[in-house]
Amino acid sequence: MSSNDSVQQGAVPDFDRMGPRVGERFPDVALPDQHGQPVDLHKTRAGRKGLVVFYRSAGW
Amino acid sequence: MVQLQRNLPDFERNNIAVFGISYDPVDVLARFAAAHGVTFPLLSDEGSKVIRELGMLDEQVYEHHAAFGITNREGRFWGVPYPGEFLLDERGVVTQKRFQKNYRERETSRTILEQGFGVAASSHGPEARSEAEGVAVRSFLDAGEYRIYQRLRVNVEVVVPSGWHVYGLPIPDGYVPLSVTVAPVEGLEVGEPVLSTPHPFRVEGLDEQFFVYDGKVSVAVPVVFTRSVGDQTLHVEVRFQACSADQCQRPNGVRLDLPVRAEKHVEWHS
Repeated sequence: MSSNDSVQQGAVPDFDRMGPRVGERFPDVALPDQHGQPVDLHKTRAGRKGLVVFYRSAGW
Repeated sequence: MVQLQRNLPDFERNNIAVFGISYDPVDVLARFAAAHGVTFPLLSDEGSKVIRELGMLDEQVYEHHAAFGITNREGRFWGVPYPGEFLLDERGVVTQKRFQKNYRERETSRTILEQGFGVAASSHGPEARSEAEGVAVRSFLDAGEYRIYQRLRVNVEVVVPSGWHVYGLPIPDGYVPLSVTVAPVEGLEVGEPVLSTPHPFRVEGLDEQFFVYDGKVSVAVPVVFTRSVGDQTLHVEVRFQACSADQCQRPNGVRLDLPVRAEKHVEWHS
């Protein structure tokens, strides 16, 4: 779908360098969830594989 | 996030814990989760402290928006991460990072499961089946609803009876290769179909070199809606010519219709 790719969108970041690197342990993250409950990411993951999705907003 | 929730049984079945992170305050996440039934953790990084610490801050959000005609420079966009996914193994080590080069596009949960984690997704969108002289064709969409700039695939599976084959490219004159066409729809961009590599084949007595598929053949056509055009039906045409070692059927084709609904909040934002 070349027409999308041809739109100038500003500098495309170096994804390899953006955020935690492949081969590194994902950093410890502790944040409240939608219920206001504190969630420790690795503790909640509890030895399972993980998918961490960064997205822009659930509000707009 | 809603699509992830819909596919959550597949993630859970494959022992994958799912987390979302955004800069939304808890009450915004609570409203969203309640409205869409989201049960996996949506983490609230209000103030974008973690987003910043992890190096995920989109420092060019205004440029990215401007390139796509969004000129609102309200401060509220500042603090968003560059959207993407991190796949972790059982030890919590990052095995893969998935970002879209085109800032607007997103991928489906199905693609994350299949291409990211290498597991089959059980649920998919509408499916249609047909058959022409022994060749069975099935087509299905990744999902039953579309969002703008979310890549979907029109998946086609062709099952060729034992002893028969259909043709791939390159192909000698006079023969009809396997092809999948998605009829044009306003607001839909259709990409090049992706087929596996056919294998070489020669027929006794013929000079030409053929490349053929047999058994089950999968084709995927990437599509993306670039604006909301309401509910649509994708008309898929699959054409082929089935031959055995000593005879050929006439060129054949089937037409399949796949309905797809516009997701309620179909506008691009997350």
